[in-house]
Amino acid sequence: MIVCVAVVGHQNNPLYLQSFTEADDALKLHHIVHCSLDVIDERVNNPKRSAPTLNETFLGLLYPTENYKVYGYLTNTKVKFIMVTTDLDVKDADARNFFRKFHAAYVDAVSNPFHVPGKKIASRSFGARVSTIVKSFGSGITS
Amino acid sequence: MAIAESCVDAVVMEMVAVYCGGLYAAKPELAARRIEAIGFQVGHQLSERYTMERPRFSDHLEAIKFICKDFWSELFKKQIDNLKTNHRGTFVLQDNRFRWLTRVSLDPYTENTDSTENDSAALGDTAAQTTTMLLYFPCGLIRGALTNLGIPCSVSADMSNLPACSFVVRIKT
Repeated sequence: MIVCVAVVGHQNNPLYLQSFTEADDALKLHHIVHCSLDVIDERVNNPKRSAPTLNETFLGLLYPTENYKVYGYLTNTKVKFIMVTTDLDVKDADARNFFRKFHAAYVDAVSNPFHVPGKKIASRSFGARVSTIVKSFGSGITS
Repeated sequence: MAIAESCVDAVVMEMVAVYCGGLYAAKPELAARRIEAIGFQVGHQLSERYTMERPRFSDHLEAIKFICKDFWSELFKKQIDNLKTNHRGTFVLQDNRFRWLTRVSLDPYTENTDSTENDSAALGDTAAQTTTMLLYFPCGLIRGALTNLGIPCSVSADMSNLPACSFVVRIKT
């Protein structure tokens, strides 16, 4: 199950941050998202991994914590997408697929002429679409 | 598709006409800035969409190549015909048949025959001015796209012989 997703702008400014838990752990999840920004920076600035993954948008597993796994995605426009999940065996393909849909939703949201670039995404329909994508991620694994 | 193209043509021309004729008739440089800003926003949004499925660019040249090939194909169904660079941050993108100028056909020299020298000069002047105005929007498009890709730059256009025109991109360091 995905517990938190975030969109972070090119100056590390938060554009969208949403947790999907009943419990009151939003702050902890936001902290995890925050930490992952450093990991992304490190990945991008010292690419010591093998060549094919060098400039791919999907960054893969950023780091595992005790209860969560954090995945990242960095677009051409330096916008970062972060996903925190409690699933311990996530297939890369599923994560990739999730981010592709998430990115598409983001692109549609920023194409709204009333959206100000660099400001938080306030669109309700974007929120609803992300929720749907997050829900379908869990069900995609079981089916 | 042809209808959609004509619509875009008409919208671009009408936008220029509205800004130059109605809103900012007295201040063409202000109109130019507004039109460029609209282009900037459109380019900003389009670049986000068109770079969705591709790996990140490693340097400026790759981003410029993306503008020349994919971005231009999406917008005008053709690629930039010629790309020149001095390898120090200036790129010249030449389009031999720029779609938004193919409908513009005011050539002052062909109309010299039945009008006086002064008239044709004035006519040529306004024609050149109008055409220049038409180019602020695509300049903004390029600048918006490159800025969104993390390359701050300034873009100017040059149209010495219609319908060919070239865009000069200067990357700010």
